[in-house]
Amino acid sequence: MSFLLKVENLRIELRMRAGVAPVIDDLSFELAHGESISFVGESGCGKSMTALAIMGLLPEGIGRVASGKIWFDGEDLVAASPARLRHIRGNKIGMIFQEPMTSLNPVYSVGEQIAEVLREHQGLSRKAAWAEAIELLDAVRIPNPETRATAYPFEMSGGQRQRVMIAIALACKPKILIADEPTTALDVTVQAQIFDLLRDLRRQTGTSLIMITHDMGAVAEMAERMIVMYAGRKAEEGPVDKVIAHARHPYTQGLISCVPHLVAHLTEERQDLNEVPGIVPGLAEFGQGRCLFASRCARATERCLTTRPEEIAFSDVHRSACWHAEGM
Amino acid sequence: MNDLIEVRDLSVHFEIRAKGIGGARRNLTAVDDVSLTAKRGQTLAIVGESGSGKTTLALAIARLASGKTTGEVRIDGKDVVSLTDGGLDWMRRKVQVIFQDPFSSLNPRQRAEDIVREPLDNLTTKTKAEKAEIVDRFFNAVGLRPEQKRLFPHQFSGGQRQRIGIARALSTQPEVIICDEPVSALDVAVQAQIINLLRRLQDEFGLTYLFISHDLGVVQHMCDSVAVMYMGKIVEHADRLQLFNDPQHPYTRALISAVPAVDPDLRNRGQKLALVGDPPNLLNLPKGCRFASRCPLAEPRCFETEPPLRVRVGGHRVACHLVDLGPEASAEAVSPSAPEFP
Repeated sequence: MSFLLKVENLRIELRMRAGVAPVIDDLSFELAHGESISFVGESGCGKSMTALAIMGLLPEGIGRVASGKIWFDGEDLVAASPARLRHIRGNKIGMIFQEPMTSLNPVYSVGEQIAEVLREHQGLSRKAAWAEAIELLDAVRIPNPETRATAYPFEMSGGQRQRVMIAIALACKPKILIADEPTTALDVTVQAQIFDLLRDLRRQTGTSLIMITHDMGAVAEMAERMIVMYAGRKAEEGPVDKVIAHARHPYTQGLISCVPHLVAHLTEERQDLNEVPGIVPGLAEFGQGRCLFASRCARATERCLTTRPEEIAFSDVHRSACWHAEGM
Repeated sequence: MNDLIEVRDLSVHFEIRAKGIGGARRNLTAVDDVSLTAKRGQTLAIVGESGSGKTTLALAIARLASGKTTGEVRIDGKDVVSLTDGGLDWMRRKVQVIFQDPFSSLNPRQRAEDIVREPLDNLTTKTKAEKAEIVDRFFNAVGLRPEQKRLFPHQFSGGQRQRIGIARALSTQPEVIICDEPVSALDVAVQAQIINLLRRLQDEFGLTYLFISHDLGVVQHMCDSVAVMYMGKIVEHADRLQLFNDPQHPYTRALISAVPAVDPDLRNRGQKLALVGDPPNLLNLPKGCRFASRCPLAEPRCFETEPPLRVRVGGHRVACHLVDLGPEASAEAVSPSAPEFP
């Protein structure tokens, strides 16, 4: 099977006052053509950094790829020149950011912002780009696209702004769409509309999707496979249904059971939520040769504190990096 | 049953000035003729999308809304809308608030113990020793260590900061705590810690919570009854099991079905009620039901007359023309369509 995207032993280092910290520590994963995967974890676990690395958008002067490869369509993005990356961004890989309020330019109309992408990347004329922008607004289901194209971001609701972001990201029909917490700032009903839209667009265009989120429900609705990240490392990887039914990493179990999910039939009974005590360690602790989750883990033993867990495979597709994975 | 909070026909109006010099003044009714009750020692959740007026409603109940408030709010039988000075202090001791954002709701230049003690300084005449004892007690109750009392907010994590906010709300030993999205700014794992803490404190101190949230999963776990708001109106008000197992209003059903589900049974039920479009403009409300323009079931009459909040079997209140009230329901109309505010 050929992969559209293959990340091998990626290590990203951030320069800090106290030295360098590996925000991404030996991460490998693949993405097939047309597949939808999700990165899950709390904030500060390196989910967004992974996305930025793929886009070649790591914070300049602070973050860098220390080692590893990012293969996209047979080409190593780590070694690619800035000009080449600029061509790939937008054309081949599109990205939607979390905050539709701040990631649009407030002084340009939304039609102009979509048309700009088409002119830059596809060399369309002003007129053709504008016409295409209107088509795209229609495709993301904004009513009256001809008139709305001249609207400024402040004149739109949060949901509409996120639709504009999606239109920009999809303007050049990219092969991969990266969505970084695309619905966190939105209401649930609007979130459902955006998910519907993404699903439909994916069906029509065959785009692969990488969605970054902390919401297990969103993962279950949108993704086929998920990768659980903790402190810059992959904790668990597997098909969504399998992982939700039987998580093989205590962190994944914690993430699933600490959230009160809606259930099909509600009863009087209410138990306390499962707590994952403590918080994600600070960057200074990243990269140590032990299980970084051990301090929050009920199963932690001596070995967890002294040796970094190896990945254990439960099938071709389901892997967990925990010394106790087999007993779970 | 013992109702601690009774709200009748509460409205909050804001004056909006149109763009430009000398722009026309218009009235925006953020909360429109709302009536609800909350039982002592229980949690009433107020849910709805952003802009539905849920925070304004809760703040109006605590006399903290800046707009013009009309109607009646009774806490422990006492009308709080008319309170002044000393009476207001009494009310402030009884009703406290936990805010959404633990970063901006704590004074960065005060130490944790001063933050927790401040309501006592302002609202009580206790001695220094008494106050210190109270601060220690609630520091312990929310799971902070005594040596952390001298630290400043930036030295705490988000979850710990929210604990300080909770200790501050508890310090005057209130009966009602308004929780305005208390966990939505926190990481998922930390949310569980705070939710469990809030439930434990409720048991321990017999607190009544007004719990504002847009997260139905959290609401379903926390609440005893729920009021669903849409565009300043309550569209459904029922107890927890009724609302989640048998939602009546199309908006409530859409809200519940919009939540991404982990439970495969729920996901495969396949009766998603998708909403189209955005809510109407509060300054330019449609004539009939406010939800009609987005409602998949709307009929012509929905665009003509505004449905009153009617009582269904088992005390389940719904404001929808299409809902069957059941055999023994009374035809009590709680609030007919609201008169236009001049």
